[in-house]
Amino acid sequence: MEDWKAVATARGLAIPEEDLTRLLPVMDALAASFRPLLEALPEDSDTAVNFTAEAPEPR
Amino acid sequence: MTIVEAGKALRARQISSAELLKRSLSKITALNDGLNAFLLVMEESARAEASRADAELASGRDRGPLHGIPVAVKDLFLTKGIRTTAGSKIFAGYIPDRDATVLTKLRAAGAVIVGKTHLHELAYGVTSNNPHFGPVRNPHDPNRIPGGSSGGSGAAVASGMVLMAMGTDTGGSIRIPASYCGTAGLKPTFGLVSKNGCMPLGLSLDHMGPLTNSVADAALCLNALAGYDPGDACSVKRLPVDYSVMDGSLQGVRVGWPENFFFDAVDEEVAAAVSAAADRARLAGAEVVPVKVPDVDALNVVARVILLAEAAAVMRPYLHRREDFGKDVLALLDSGQLLPATDYVNAQRVRRQMQADFRQLFQKIDVLLTPATPIPAPLIGETTVEVAGRQEDVRLASTRLVRGINALGLPALSVPCGVTQSGLPIGLQIVGRAFEEKVVLQVGHALSM
Repeated sequence: MEDWKAVATARGLAIPEEDLTRLLPVMDALAASFRPLLEALPEDSDTAVNFTAEAPEPR
Repeated sequence: MTIVEAGKALRARQISSAELLKRSLSKITALNDGLNAFLLVMEESARAEASRADAELASGRDRGPLHGIPVAVKDLFLTKGIRTTAGSKIFAGYIPDRDATVLTKLRAAGAVIVGKTHLHELAYGVTSNNPHFGPVRNPHDPNRIPGGSSGGSGAAVASGMVLMAMGTDTGGSIRIPASYCGTAGLKPTFGLVSKNGCMPLGLSLDHMGPLTNSVADAALCLNALAGYDPGDACSVKRLPVDYSVMDGSLQGVRVGWPENFFFDAVDEEVAAAVSAAADRARLAGAEVVPVKVPDVDALNVVARVILLAEAAAVMRPYLHRREDFGKDVLALLDSGQLLPATDYVNAQRVRRQMQADFRQLFQKIDVLLTPATPIPAPLIGETTVEVAGRQEDVRLASTRLVRGINALGLPALSVPCGVTQSGLPIGLQIVGRAFEEKVVLQVGHALSM
């Protein structure tokens, strides 16, 4: 499992200890359900967010 | 009253736009203290717009079905010179210098903008129990939530305050309030309705759409709202479609009936009402096809990872003001900050894979029929709810049948399909192929009650 407290410290996130502690089981559960999905992901699979070289028109 | 009925009365000179607005304002005066559906009523500008609509009709200028119709927009859409809070303390004093494209289109169609509806803080939740502006209440039972995040829009339409209210849907936020309040709620295909000028939450998941009293009304609104907008990088160029032509026949329509996931944990009354809708589909000529749907649990997880990261990215400039966020929203934003960038990118890659899986499913069917929510509206303040004999988090229960569809970008409609013994509405969800709103609306029109 990811050490979320270490992640928060390394990134300099100003999340108080009490709030962070409450998040740990949520983050662990999310990672446990998400990360296995990557095992079947083909190496050449593309992202759903696409970039196009044609610049958008101004708003 | 529906938009179709009001439009007929307007053109028969049985009522004026000013009188429709007067009725709308009277309802708001009578009900809003209790329901808290509106954050702002724009009485003066609405009167001017109604007066103009009447003058134009009298002179022979008819802008179409929304001409002179009182509508509202969720307080997430930018309104030039008018406060746009997003239901947040952060933006409590924010006055935009431009209108959202949705506002521009509604005004061009002659609609009268009555005001701005209440929502879950930052549109990031399903209860509309807002810590800064108070809870929105369900018109069917004021002790219950209207759903969210477009809770004010659902309550405003269901209580008759306006004939249409715009919502936004990032993980079910149009369909959930439609289900809990007993209205129609349409999440169009991603890219069909511009999100330019709507405060973002999930940049690749946000959809804009109407909540209305009938499916025919939703179709009329989509006619006015759809269209390419160069100001929205996700907007798609399509030939115009008239969504409003529909009858009750479903001859030749293949309706997918999910054999897995969607009925695994659903309230008995909800399951029975949705099952009855499938029977009505058969009677209307549809072929009901049992189908195995791809892994929706996985799709929901992917959608959650994407939303957590995108929302945290959008709100990053304000995250040092921790005391200005509600606890639930702050926890979600903190979670998004903790997620590695690699998870976000990989979630977008899995999303692309799953899109292909669902594309295969929709080669066998034209629409998928599911409950919109597995339960009727929970009580305000309830954090867990019993579903099919087990306790479940209200947020997860409310979103698990709708959230994944946002990751697919497919059109999805919630329509009322019955009421529980205690009188609470039950929502039926109809999901279709990309840009095939016409079929989705046709099925919704035939099956809604």
